Amino acid sequence: MSLRRQLTLSLVTILILFAINVGTHFWGSYARNESMAAYRNSVTAAQLSTEIEQLLEDQKQQVLILATLRDNTEDQLENTELLQAETAIDTINARIKKLGSLSRGVTELNFEMLWDSSSTLLENWITFYRNYNDPAFKKDMDDPLPFLDVRQRLQALEARQAFIASQRANIIDRTIELTDRITVIGFFASIFLTAILGYYLVSYTNRSLKRLKKGTERIGSGDLNYRIDDIDDTGELGDLAAAFNDMSDKLRNAIYDVRKARDAADEASATKSIFLANVSHELRTPLNAIIGYSEMLQDELGDTAEVNKQQFQQDLGTIMSSGQQLLSLINDILDLSKIETGKMSLHCETFNPADIIRQSCDVLSPLLRKTGNELRTDKIKALPDFYSDAAKFRQIMTNLLSNANKFTERGIIRICAEEIAERPGWVEFTVQDTGIGMSDDQINRVFDAFVQADSSTSANYGGTGLGLAICKNYSELMGGTIVVRSQPGAGSIFTVTLPTDLRSTHAAA
Amino acid sequence: MNLSGTVLLVEDNELNRDMMIRRLSRAGFDVLTAGNGKQALDIMHSKMPCIVLMDMNLPVLDGWAASRRAKEDKDIGHIPIIALTAHATDDHRQYALDSGCDDYATKPVDFPGLLIKINKLIRL
Repeated sequence: MSLRRQLTLSLVTILILFAINVGTHFWGSYARNESMAAYRNSVTAAQLSTEIEQLLEDQKQQVLILATLRDNTEDQLENTELLQAETAIDTINARIKKLGSLSRGVTELNFEMLWDSSSTLLENWITFYRNYNDPAFKKDMDDPLPFLDVRQRLQALEARQAFIASQRANIIDRTIELTDRITVIGFFASIFLTAILGYYLVSYTNRSLKRLKKGTERIGSGDLNYRIDDIDDTGELGDLAAAFNDMSDKLRNAIYDVRKARDAADEASATKSIFLANVSHELRTPLNAIIGYSEMLQDELGDTAEVNKQQFQQDLGTIMSSGQQLLSLINDILDLSKIETGKMSLHCETFNPADIIRQSCDVLSPLLRKTGNELRTDKIKALPDFYSDAAKFRQIMTNLLSNANKFTERGIIRICAEEIAERPGWVEFTVQDTGIGMSDDQINRVFDAFVQADSSTSANYGGTGLGLAICKNYSELMGGTIVVRSQPGAGSIFTVTLPTDLRSTHAAA
Repeated sequence: MNLSGTVLLVEDNELNRDMMIRRLSRAGFDVLTAGNGKQALDIMHSKMPCIVLMDMNLPVLDGWAASRRAKEDKDIGHIPIIALTAHATDDHRQYALDSGCDDYATKPVDFPGLLIKINKLIRL
């Protein structure tokens, strides 16, 4: 059960107990009031009864005396005396009526009996008074029965009232006792229940909080696999535990991401260091020739022996070509660095790739003579005009052709170019040689910067190891691809696929 | 500085090789050349040069492997070897020394400095 439910339930239970207590208190106090009223009633009734009895007794004596007087003398009743007598009888009547107003319910029967007989008695007396002066009126007033009857009934009513009062008092006393008992029991039950609920709630929340605390400590100390799953609360504490678990999951993912990013950064940093070491190595090689030849020439000029002019010229040529090599190397490095930082931009224009291929072939021809290779261009079909970066396309072609020539001796270099039939708007360029070829492992790394097929390749064949990296980057920059197929000893086939119009390609992408 | 003796220059780059041959000859050495590590080991056995200047990036058998093999060979292990390479980092220097080279010089070559190194090793 959830913590909130438990709290609500406890609160409701305590409130109910409280309400019961208050209720029984009011009940008890009502019973006390009732008891008081009943007591007052019975006292008033007893007083009234005594008074009535006394008044009746007095009146009876007076009537008896007057009756004796009337019988033996010629006594006449004054008007004022008659009036007095009537008033006295009215008073008695009023008293009896008042007694009647106190007798309700269970004593009503007794009262009615009293009322009947008292009415007759009082009527008799009134008649007696009114006819007192009439000598013809004859009435025996000595008969004691009506009076005794009234007194008896009055006493019966009194007894009945006393009995009812005591009976009610008994009931009320029992009620008071009962409500007192309930109040006490309710009070102690409230205290007991509150204590038990309080203890249970405190220990329950304590237990759950301890588990949460343990969990946070474990998670805080780096154990992100720890789970707070021993909380059986389905409410707030369970939610809190779930939130903790969720947090540790997210934390773990975040830390994993950070570690991955750090590893990637480390790797990038290592790659940069290797790149720098390679750059340094590649720059030093032509510099060695430039500095070495210059120093040597200076030394030789300092000698007295005459200078061999032809040798001198040749050495200067060496220095110059090394300088050129250094320059092109620096340009390559800058290009590659631009590509890698994303700063290389395309300068698009309309050109025909066939023209550029022919120009590249022309540039290559003096080198072909050195290696004894034959260049075949017969498979260059009529090509559509390109809207792309002509300079970069030229560099791709030049690099691929000079690579093919570099790794081939007395072989055949063939360049093909044609539109792809099943892919309108794309042209495929292929440079194929019959040179030394590459193994699968070499193919996998051949487009990486400063990687030649193996460490001895540059020693054997020269080159910066940047050409193919630049080719790959330029091909991709121009929206295309470059792939290679090769086998050791069986030559290599480099295939560049490019879109003819960069605008439509970008629009399509 | 008047120097003499036979130097074996192991270098596969034609330009660098020609340049070094001329400069070493001018300094008074007899110069032998090898284009790769394997040739270098053969010549060390047959001609017993006073010292070897070894490039590291070599075809067939590279300079590091050739140096290691030379130092493990009791016939030629005594011949001092100076690594001559464009790999200029401390790691490369240590790698060359660990491969058995007696000294290390970077390209571009500080030629007077190289002569001092050669002289020191020959005199030992």
